[in-house]
Amino acid sequence: MDHTSSGISVRGLTKRYGEVLAVDHLTFDVEPGKVTGFLGPNGAGKSTTMRMMLGLDKPTEGSVLVNGRRFAEVEEPLRHVGALLDATSAHPGRTGRNHLRVAARTNGIPLDRVEEVIDQVGLGAAAKRRIKGYSLGMRQRLGIAAALLGDPEVLLFDEPVNGLDLDGVRWIRDLLRGLAAEGRTVLVSSHLMSEMQQTADRLVIIGRGRLIADASVDEVLLGLGRRHVRVRVPDPDLLAQALGARGVTTHRVGADELQVDGCPAESVGEAAHRLGLPVHHLAEVDQSLEHAYLELTASAVQYHGHTPEGALT
Amino acid sequence: MSTAVLTRTVHAEWLRLRTVRASWWFLAAGVVSMLGIATIAGLEERAESGGPAASAWLAAVITTMPGQFAFYGLVLLAVTADYSSGGIIPTLQWTPRRMVLFVARTLVPVVVATAAAVLLALAATTLVWAMVPEFTMPWGEADVLGTVALVVGSGCLLSVGLGFLFRSTAGGLVTVFLVMLVLPLILPQFGYDWMLDIAQVLPGYGAAYLLFGEDMGITTTWAVTVLAAWGVGALALGAARLVTQDADN
Ligand SMILES: Nc1ncnc2c1ncn2[C@@H]1O[C@H](COP(=O)(O)OP(=O)(O)O)[C@@H](O)[C@H]1O
Ligand SMILES: [Mg+2]
Repeated sequence: MDHTSSGISVRGLTKRYGEVLAVDHLTFDVEPGKVTGFLGPNGAGKSTTMRMMLGLDKPTEGSVLVNGRRFAEVEEPLRHVGALLDATSAHPGRTGRNHLRVAARTNGIPLDRVEEVIDQVGLGAAAKRRIKGYSLGMRQRLGIAAALLGDPEVLLFDEPVNGLDLDGVRWIRDLLRGLAAEGRTVLVSSHLMSEMQQTADRLVIIGRGRLIADASVDEVLLGLGRRHVRVRVPDPDLLAQALGARGVTTHRVGADELQVDGCPAESVGEAAHRLGLPVHHLAEVDQSLEHAYLELTASAVQYHGHTPEGALT
Repeated sequence: MSTAVLTRTVHAEWLRLRTVRASWWFLAAGVVSMLGIATIAGLEERAESGGPAASAWLAAVITTMPGQFAFYGLVLLAVTADYSSGGIIPTLQWTPRRMVLFVARTLVPVVVATAAAVLLALAATTLVWAMVPEFTMPWGEADVLGTVALVVGSGCLLSVGLGFLFRSTAGGLVTVFLVMLVLPLILPQFGYDWMLDIAQVLPGYGAAYLLFGEDMGITTTWAVTVLAAWGVGALALGAARLVTQDADN
């Protein structure tokens, strides 16, 4: 596939805000026809990377091309790239409909299309109300409507499920999958790996501005992942003892929660059952991903305590 | 810069301007202050009937003096509202060419505000002329409307420039009031020459001279040059910040 003319190509992208190195020499491609999950803990540099994709922030180094061009050179940007960044960014005094009409005007999009996207995102009657009265979920829908307005080939969504209820989350997931199925390039960021595992085909994982993984979801889970199990029961010590007697390692990770290594969820559940313990929560978790997260967060904290040069090594 | 893109952006800016209430509040403030002052002046002049004949055009400059600030507020907010609300993020996604945005966002509010000021100055004059039988309204003196346009237009350019430069409504308003009103008014009061020198290079001093044409120690050319320099200077700095810096830092 020709990365230079289709999709998004990020090359050595770096952004420094004063002493904060927000994005650190990132290189990856986002391909059409797939949902690419852009994953990383809070503060990893996802939003900053997306802002640079849209020319909002200038890279300190490196470059990013969307469909082979710098975003700021595109004449009718909404017809090529739709984006939802911070959903709260809109003039609160304008109605949702007028917000979208302004967007349509700027890119020569017919005003009929505004009504179509209002229906598509389910904003409905709220469109004639002022944005100041919108819930976060409604603002997300408005932002998504703006992103869809120009029927673009490339779509960027920064944490789009924030503030949405369960129906909304499912709706977004279907929307993203549908857009990718139509052959569009879809990049969606999240700090929740569970969400991305269900939605994305590929994962680009970053931490502290650096690339950690760039692979398909399966590769990430297989290559990085031995799974472990998290279980919550009223008497975790009792369960830990029982599992320990069978040579299974456990760690206490909360008042009533255990992490169980190298043992499938079924066996943990059965062990609890034999002890007569009610299981409040039982889940298989990808250990490596979670570990990577913890380590990154830990070193990020460390980094803040040291000289900024430490981040360059 | 393609004209099609600029035309669209101008249309979008016009839609933006008229779909926020603040624009209408500032316009209402301009209407109330200018026509209100004209009405009061008209009533006073009429009360002392049989007074000397005078030109009603004086009303144009008397009402512009306070009324101008409503228009500076209007255009300043047209720029800074996007920064306080975060709206600059979608704005620059829709119009990533920043010079295009700059030109449209300067042009639309400044033209609208200046036109409104000129129309209101004309309305104020007509009102006074209609109220006071002794007053005349010779069309030969209508060039005062040009002065109103010059003063309000350059004050608006200054305000827009400061809006792009400071990205803050408060910072912009305070600066506009300082250089257009407060400093030119109080600096000469102290009686020091150097303070008068400073006052004379402030845009408000030139504006007052152009409106009232009193003996203020400067020439028309000087006044126009000072006003233009402040307007162009603020615009250049504002444009530089918009074009070179991150969207909303
Ligand atoms: N405008 C800014 N000025 C200074 N630091 C910033 C700015 N924007 C982001 N940062 C910092 O850059 C890092 C990455 O932030 P961000 O891109 O928002 O991360 P994410 O979206 O992954 O949560 C964080 O440490 C954040 O504090
Ligand atoms: Mg973010």
